[in-house]
Amino acid sequence: MVRITLGGAVLRGTVSTALMASLISAPALGAPPVDLSKWSPEYVRSIAGTQDFDTAADCAKVTPLDYKGRLTFWYQGVFEGDPDLLRQYYKDFFATFRKTYPNIQLEDQALTYNDLLDKFRTALLGNAAPMAVRLQILGGTEFASKGYLQPLKPEDVGYSTEDFWPGAMKAVSWDGVTYGIPTNNETMAFIWNADIFKRAGLDPDKAPATWDDVVKYSKQIHDKLGIAGYGLVARKNAGNTPYRFMPQLWAYGGGVFDEATANPTYKKIELDSPQSKAALQASYDMYVRDKSVPVSALTNQQADNQPLFLAGQLGMMISHPSDYNVMLDLQKKATGSDKDKAQTVIDNMRYGLIPTGPDGKRAVVFGGSNIHILKPEYVEGGKVDEPAAKAIICMWTSPEWSLKMAYAGSNPGNLNGFKTKWMKERLDNIKFLDVTTSMLPYGIPFPALPQSPEIMNIIVPDMLQNALTGAMTVDQAADDAAKKVKDLMGGGL
Amino acid sequence: MTIVSGKTEVRQRLQPGWSGMLRKIWDHRADYAYVVPAIAVMLIVIAYPIYYTIELSFFNTPPGLQLRDKIFVGFDNYTAILTSEVFWKVTWNTLVWTFVSTFFSFVLGFAAALALHRDFIGRGVLRAILIIPWVISAVAASYIWKWIYHSDFGIIGAILVEFGLADRPPNFIDSVGTVLPSLIVVNIWREFPFAMIMMMAGLQTVPDQLLRAAKVDGANAWQRFWHVTFPHLRNVSTVTILLLAVANFNSFIIPWIMTGGGPSNASHIWITHIYELAFGRQRWGVASAYSVLLFLILMTLGYFYVRALSGNERKDDSA
Repeated sequence: MVRITLGGAVLRGTVSTALMASLISAPALGAPPVDLSKWSPEYVRSIAGTQDFDTAADCAKVTPLDYKGRLTFWYQGVFEGDPDLLRQYYKDFFATFRKTYPNIQLEDQALTYNDLLDKFRTALLGNAAPMAVRLQILGGTEFASKGYLQPLKPEDVGYSTEDFWPGAMKAVSWDGVTYGIPTNNETMAFIWNADIFKRAGLDPDKAPATWDDVVKYSKQIHDKLGIAGYGLVARKNAGNTPYRFMPQLWAYGGGVFDEATANPTYKKIELDSPQSKAALQASYDMYVRDKSVPVSALTNQQADNQPLFLAGQLGMMISHPSDYNVMLDLQKKATGSDKDKAQTVIDNMRYGLIPTGPDGKRAVVFGGSNIHILKPEYVEGGKVDEPAAKAIICMWTSPEWSLKMAYAGSNPGNLNGFKTKWMKERLDNIKFLDVTTSMLPYGIPFPALPQSPEIMNIIVPDMLQNALTGAMTVDQAADDAAKKVKDLMGGGL
Repeated sequence: MTIVSGKTEVRQRLQPGWSGMLRKIWDHRADYAYVVPAIAVMLIVIAYPIYYTIELSFFNTPPGLQLRDKIFVGFDNYTAILTSEVFWKVTWNTLVWTFVSTFFSFVLGFAAALALHRDFIGRGVLRAILIIPWVISAVAASYIWKWIYHSDFGIIGAILVEFGLADRPPNFIDSVGTVLPSLIVVNIWREFPFAMIMMMAGLQTVPDQLLRAAKVDGANAWQRFWHVTFPHLRNVSTVTILLLAVANFNSFIIPWIMTGGGPSNASHIWITHIYELAFGRQRWGVASAYSVLLFLILMTLGYFYVRALSGNERKDDSA
């Protein structure tokens, strides 16, 4: 049960007006399908189920349903941390596509988040890439800037640019050209175990308001109960790390560059600013000083935190609404008394807004995935079947499937997805969805730079590890990371 | 063994130089025809990648550019590597990893081979059990050990805490001080069966009559081992150690899966570092320069390996 006043929380949110404007302002012609300025859980509920869409009919206008062709397609698929519900939707999508386009020979390959970029880069070097690819939001700019991708905008598959989050469209643009279409956009939320809070002497129905509170609560939980307080994640080469540390960094007023501002220029490096160091210090305090987070945080991913949370050994973490379903899936696999223990944890699972920094700033990574078409010269065989590629892109980014494929964990890339009957059903079925949709206006996209994957997957986790292992002081680790970013941006070896 | 007729030998002596060599090739044309496909495959999958890696090592490949737009930088990549702190840290890790893993894998494997060389009940079962670490997938083993070592819920930690031997689970792989030794233990566990098999094979070649003669002459067990058994195993030991050393220099799976080279680069060895440079950071040029250096080291080891094998052959021939 969520005890926070969600709509009010959004309105009270102290995120900068400029940032909000950046995310919700429509950049081009025409009105967006939903009024982003009214964004609140109540508004989302009011529009859910108000419009019907016929996906096959819409996509037939892009690629005729009897079109005969062949398509190779890679996508970031489900992984061990996803709920079974999502697995089923992925199966349903591909079955539906094959039924809708029976003459398109589809060769699809799913890859996990942490593997996709490496494999895709390798395939590109050998001109053996697939014709179309669905990449994490972090990857689009890198490949667009290198010239691997074809220009592709929503209008090319029958939609309008205004049908998608403006912030998400920035992540698929390079040098003013659009190279992809968002499939889903996600913001995470703060999750805690009310029973652990109660036993530790904390208010069970109140999330920590600030990151300083997270540090304090984590210590209190650890000291009183002997279990880990906050589910810190600091593994290198794992997407989970930046998704959990960047909100903290931004909330303290820091950043890698100025990506948290309305119009980022990415010119000034901020990783060594006092605010960024304060954020790093908070992690240091939890891991080193208080020892109140899992020791295994340096080698763990969020998928490792999930069983800890379910076992009642972890008090707080940041994750998707889908974690509730993941807990249910894991609980089904438990046996004996473990099953009851797991049920107690599930009953005590609470979702809230991610805490703010000292000056009231709240932030979360505006994540998600985008879908792209490759240039023929980088594709195996040297040919791209564009109608076939557009057919699958039209389907995946449709209001129906962009919602269904994000059913448990995220939000539809196509804003019309919020108007579908499936959204209404989802609001009833997926617990805590209100909280994560409430976090959307606080979302900050990763810097739209080709260097972003290295910064987020290697340099930022390295900074954390250097500080948390004592290999460097907090100041040294932040300065070292800032220098690495500087060298990277300067084209150093 | 090649049989050369007396007539051919005479013709070879009469036609020195190129024509003699061509004649020799012609005489053995069938042999060459058989090895041509293998050589062609080797040229494609080994020679070309080596050439391309050497070429790439002279270029800068910034992440914002395609590989074809690489920038020539001469020896800058080599200079950057040799002057970087990370290089020396990773090199030290690699040396520790390789030498400690090789030494203990060999010693344990040799000891196990000596123990299993005796005849006792259950020897076959024990031998099969000891081979298990070597035959199971390295990936599966890495994941299992990751959980055994888990800093919060690992089985070792749980046992120590349960028996009151520790207040909290020891930190095996999340500490810069303990991560490399912990990974080396896993590597030794996986590799010692290989040394055991090699040495068991070697032990079969020790002549029994020599051991019996030594015993008759009054040599004790240690003297029989040191003066009879060990000299017979010198070549197989050399080959085993070299193979282990090459395999350890090239190790990737255990450190990459268990720690990804972390925390704070404390378990990065050359191969994992090269992988991260190339595929994680897209520094293909620097990664190639690292690979060239590693190639040279491995070629040196390979030279000694071939020499050891040749030594064996010469010894066999003279026997």
